[in-house]
Amino acid sequence: MMIVFAVLLIASFIRNKETLFSKKRNMAVFVMLSAIGIALGIVDMIRPYIPSIAYAIEKYFK
Amino acid sequence: MNNQLTVRQVVYTYLFISISPVLRQIPSALAMDAGKSGYLSPVWSVLLLIPLVYAILLLIRSFPGLNLYEVMVQLGGRVLAKLVIFLYMLWTLLLLSAKLNIYALTLQFTLMPKTGNGLFMQVMLILVFYALYKGGKAVFRFSELSLGPVFLVIAIFCVCALAKVRTDYLLPVTVLNLADTITASRHVLAAGGNIITALFFADRLEIYLSGRQVKKLWTGAASFIILSLIVTILTFGITGASLAAKLPFPFYITVKSISFFNIFERFEVIVTLICMLSDYAAICVMFLVLSRLIRWLFALSQERFLFVPLAVVVYYLSFFTSSTQFEHDFLYRNVIVNLNMVFQYFLPMFFGFICLFKRKNIRKPY
Repeated sequence: MMIVFAVLLIASFIRNKETLFSKKRNMAVFVMLSAIGIALGIVDMIRPYIPSIAYAIEKYFK
Repeated sequence: MNNQLTVRQVVYTYLFISISPVLRQIPSALAMDAGKSGYLSPVWSVLLLIPLVYAILLLIRSFPGLNLYEVMVQLGGRVLAKLVIFLYMLWTLLLLSAKLNIYALTLQFTLMPKTGNGLFMQVMLILVFYALYKGGKAVFRFSELSLGPVFLVIAIFCVCALAKVRTDYLLPVTVLNLADTITASRHVLAAGGNIITALFFADRLEIYLSGRQVKKLWTGAASFIILSLIVTILTFGITGASLAAKLPFPFYITVKSISFFNIFERFEVIVTLICMLSDYAAICVMFLVLSRLIRWLFALSQERFLFVPLAVVVYYLSFFTSSTQFEHDFLYRNVIVNLNMVFQYFLPMFFGFICLFKRKNIRKPY
């Protein structure tokens, strides 16, 4: 699924390149969100059974 | 292209996206917190929903043509507005990933227990992309057109279910139970607060709201309360509160036991379909809201290029949010419901309160 998302991100970049290059902020936010998404994907690939946010909160409450 | 929305479309979308929590989470949560008398909680929720609708109308009428961010800038300054928008963004991200998760869990519970979450989410994201690239208005039009048939189907369920309702499952209710019903009403309010969608898209509404359009907003809120009340009464009356408290989707089990005059059966598949459509609309609306929030926060020129990166973030975040039905139920009842009270009620009413005092002194940009 990471590969599909990577291809989609590249396709989205190419399709919206005029908007992205028109303002630095557009490019910065696009790159930041893509990096966060890819990082989450890598974490999911390396450690698929990492404790979830709900599990961590439940443990904290108890 | 005409991007203007009507109040009718916003109200219908609000009702449509509220259907899945009403059918799925509310009966179970009310049964757990308030027991047999939980069906009274939708009545108590009127006490907070009325001020919320009033606050929304006050903000929209005081600042016609402005969206939530622009209104907050007018009332509290840019720094406060950016901070609140950042918090709204985090809340919407959590809500969206939880919604994607519960949609997949619902399909696993009802239809396809052996299929993985990932496949359901991927299919949903493809459909969401298709709607978003057609434009945000397509989502509101879809909700506007679909709500009528869905309400008709729910009305048929109600008619067929009436004969099976057991009054001993509903009565008696004592004064001792009333306190629990009041605190449990937050579960109804957590879904009823979706009406703040109107504030996020207030800049796309007409400049002047007529009395008829204002009445639609009030009618929408009333319709939500009536729907919650009827669904909860039917669920408790047929399935019983003690069983409903233990099930993740008690209305689904309730519908399994009813038939259309002993001719048609298996209505539970239709219930799953209704929840899927409601979740689909809710996910589309949340994507639109999230992209708008990011656009306001970073002062971007456009939000369409955010859809793909946001989809990647939300997809993987949904796996980290909760991985089982039990974890999702815990997260929803202990975190999301309370956060919804803050972001859907406290903050809009806070800004409505400031607006009440600052109305005469506000410099309008038009």
